[in-house]
Amino acid sequence: MKFKQLVKTVFLTEILQGMALTLKTFFTHPVTRQYPKEKRPAMPGFRGLHGLVRDQQTGDARCVGCGLCAAICPSRCIHIYTADSLDHKKIVERYEIEVLRCVFCGLCVEACPYAAVVLTEHYEYSDYSREPFYMTKDKLLANWDKYMGWEKNMEYFKKFWHPRTDDLGSPKNQAVFKGSASREGMH
Amino acid sequence: MGEGSYNALIYLALMVLKIVVIFGVVMLHVAYASYFERKIIGRMQVRLGPMVVGPYGLLQPIADGLKLFFKEDIIPADADKPVFYIAPIISLFAALSSLAVIPLFNGFVIANINVGLLFILAMSSLSSYGIIMAGWASNSKYSFLGGLRSSAQVISYEIALGLSLVGVMILAGSLNLTDIVKAQEKYPFGMFLIPQIIGCSIFVISGIAETNRAPFDLPEAESELVAGYFVEYSGMRFALFFIAEYMAMIIIAAVGIVCFLGGWNGPFVIPYMPFAWFFVKLWVLLFIYYWVRATLPRYRYDHLMNLGWKVLIPLSLAHIVITAIVKVLI
Repeated sequence: MKFKQLVKTVFLTEILQGMALTLKTFFTHPVTRQYPKEKRPAMPGFRGLHGLVRDQQTGDARCVGCGLCAAICPSRCIHIYTADSLDHKKIVERYEIEVLRCVFCGLCVEACPYAAVVLTEHYEYSDYSREPFYMTKDKLLANWDKYMGWEKNMEYFKKFWHPRTDDLGSPKNQAVFKGSASREGMH
Repeated sequence: MGEGSYNALIYLALMVLKIVVIFGVVMLHVAYASYFERKIIGRMQVRLGPMVVGPYGLLQPIADGLKLFFKEDIIPADADKPVFYIAPIISLFAALSSLAVIPLFNGFVIANINVGLLFILAMSSLSSYGIIMAGWASNSKYSFLGGLRSSAQVISYEIALGLSLVGVMILAGSLNLTDIVKAQEKYPFGMFLIPQIIGCSIFVISGIAETNRAPFDLPEAESELVAGYFVEYSGMRFALFFIAEYMAMIIIAAVGIVCFLGGWNGPFVIPYMPFAWFFVKLWVLLFIYYWVRATLPRYRYDHLMNLGWKVLIPLSLAHIVITAIVKVLI
């Protein structure tokens, strides 16, 4: 044992073993991904920049302004302002997300009964000022157009967001305010 | 103009040409030594190393040089200014003047002096003055500690380095580097490596310590001293230290080649390129420097001193005695 130890010390066996290891790794392929040139595709289910789903029929946001997303948001970064339209329909006047405060938990997406808010796969949105990170309704709709689209949207909802229903619309028997004409009829 | 002065002029022109060639070649080596160091260590850590400037990052050393050249030259307010100015120049001067005695191939040497080996040892100890002065003049605790460590380390390992070369001197019977190379021709592989294997091992270890390279890079231990003796240096003055350090590496490698690896002689003669084997050996040795750096962690200071004084110096003394006895007997 003592002799073995001596031989080990004199011939620097352990140092040579270490050198052999580094030489072996020298010939392995580097794992570096050269980021700006070689972009990593987002993994399925990635929670990136926010978007508001655009309704195919109306062309406006599907959001009805119920405020569930704002209520569940743990960092309180969603602000919704609704108003009465001329024909007494509830309209979503402003829908704003402070992206810098968001923690990307995805609870807003899960809470939304109309599947109207999503997290897209886009993650390269760094900027020099805070202003571009304050998402207004128009910006959110544009984000959805640009980074999500309808097909990917449906795929995402089926696979990752687990909506409560499949058709994601108002139930047929939901009480809906029918407008001023019917109100006159009621009188 | 007489015949004599005409010859002198040719001699002078040839000398200047040799200096320019050696200086150019060594500066290129310094620049690309840093590139290959980063590449090789990168690959050993499963990284790519520099890749952005030029194809495969090949222009990185040039970009680095330009950056250092145009950077602001900052001098600490409380620095000892004259010493601060002189320190990097001494370092670089010591490294550069050692180049003069190294024979790249038979007959190609700027100064073929008879005390070549001694001259190189003297210059390498002179370069530690630059380090000590830089550490002192910066007026900073980090650089001061770096300077102190460096002086202690360089002085301790210089002894082992010098003693490990005594065996070569005994076998060659000369201090002239060209004669040492020629003396090796009748030994196996045209090298002193086999008969002087102990001396060569001591030389490699103390050479790494002498040039302040990992695992003996305590003078510039990043994790403790930020950058050691040149913390306060920036821009061109920092570049001078950087060049001096890499040049010292190249010189120690060149001394190793001349004294142990048979200089410009190789297993076969490459036509029209008498310097080829020298450079091949140089690159292999530089690779070993990087390889060791990528593998070994830094020594603790007392371990470093123990290794130098209690192991390498007694061992090299014993090696001298053995070499002398064998030389007398044969």
